[in-house]
Amino acid sequence: MVVIVGILAAAIVMIMLEVPTLRKQKMKKELWVFSILMLVAVGLSIAMGLQIDIPNPVDGITMLYKPFSDFVFHFLK
Amino acid sequence: MLEDGKIGVRQFTVLVTIFTIGSSILVAPAGLASEAKQDAWIAAILGVGVSMVFVWLYNTLGTRFPDMTLAEYSEHILGKWAGKIVSLLFVSYFFILAALLLREIGDFMTTQIMPETPIQSIHIIFIGVVLMGTRLGLEPLTRASEIFFPWIIGLLFFLVMALTTEIDFQRMEPILGEGIKPIMRGAFPFLGLPFLELVVFLMIFPYVNKTKEAAKALFVGTLIGGIVIIVITMLTIIVLGSDLAARQIYPSFVLSKKVNIANFLQRVENIMAGIWFLTIYFKLTICFYASALGLAQTLKLRDYRVVTFPLGMILVVLSLVASPNIVYFLTFVKEIWTPYSLTYGLLLPLILLGVAAIRKI
Repeated sequence: MVVIVGILAAAIVMIMLEVPTLRKQKMKKELWVFSILMLVAVGLSIAMGLQIDIPNPVDGITMLYKPFSDFVFHFLK
Repeated sequence: MLEDGKIGVRQFTVLVTIFTIGSSILVAPAGLASEAKQDAWIAAILGVGVSMVFVWLYNTLGTRFPDMTLAEYSEHILGKWAGKIVSLLFVSYFFILAALLLREIGDFMTTQIMPETPIQSIHIIFIGVVLMGTRLGLEPLTRASEIFFPWIIGLLFFLVMALTTEIDFQRMEPILGEGIKPIMRGAFPFLGLPFLELVVFLMIFPYVNKTKEAAKALFVGTLIGGIVIIVITMLTIIVLGSDLAARQIYPSFVLSKKVNIANFLQRVENIMAGIWFLTIYFKLTICFYASALGLAQTLKLRDYRVVTFPLGMILVVLSLVASPNIVYFLTFVKEIWTPYSLTYGLLLPLILLGVAAIRKI
């Protein structure tokens, strides 16, 4: 619970710092991008705080590049 | 332009030097020594030599489009959609690099200096400073790097001088005892960290006020940084010996524990940690800045600062998710990072350059 409250508090501070200037300057597209990214960020952070498994992109990279790496190191053996 | 700052040539050189030293000063000697043993310094020289080819490639690409960043000209070269995909790929590369750098700081702090502190708190505090730097913009950041540069070099010089009493050149022998292949095996991971990462400077290249001299600055900066790493690697070998150097996660940190002048001046390893914090801060901020700027330019936003806060939050999560433990991290850096970086640091720039040459733009 504390984690969620902390993350939401941080998010609210960030929104208060960012959104007023965006609205004053009528940056509609920027406001949309900010909102979507913020939603993703808060979602991910809460998932992390509740220790839900988030897929690791590094695992994907490893799977993709492992054959090439094996080839190089085999070649240099 | 999203970023209206302009930086000088000397500032750019300093930035490139700090970027090259950052993170690799602590991590690279272990990777080099684990494969190349006492010839690690030859592997380091080989790595720096090969990296000059990459720098030449980035310079060719950068000077061809002197007033556009990587994200802008990939769209200009490849057309709207393919260009957007390529620049988003670059953004993802910079972002993952930033996350791994953040993780490196957390791993170092929790294993060496503050073992009781949760890693999250270190990450959050550090990203706070990075966000401040990124939001201030390129100009204040480079000016800060210029202020810190004499300190970094001074502390390094002090460390090298203080270690001269511990040097034993016999530890370097036998030179080339196991042939050339272990050296190449050692140099391979060293290419990815730090030299292929220099592709990030294509995002900053157009903001240097003289393009012609910026190309030279990239060369000089990489060379100075490379020489620093060669010297540190050589010191780890001739002070600690190849066996001890290969066993450590952070050999240069252990190296600075060896300083002992007249049983009076001892335990100065936090000087090394200080050098490392300063350099990795700038490296991380440059990577984070490049990913924010790249994303903003790809989405055609009017200000890159909009995306910094949410990206910062995502970065903290990614840095925690990215590696379950330090062994996973080190294996990844050693085996996967260079092939992964080759895609972004060599293949994609070559494709961009090739298509630009064919389309004659």
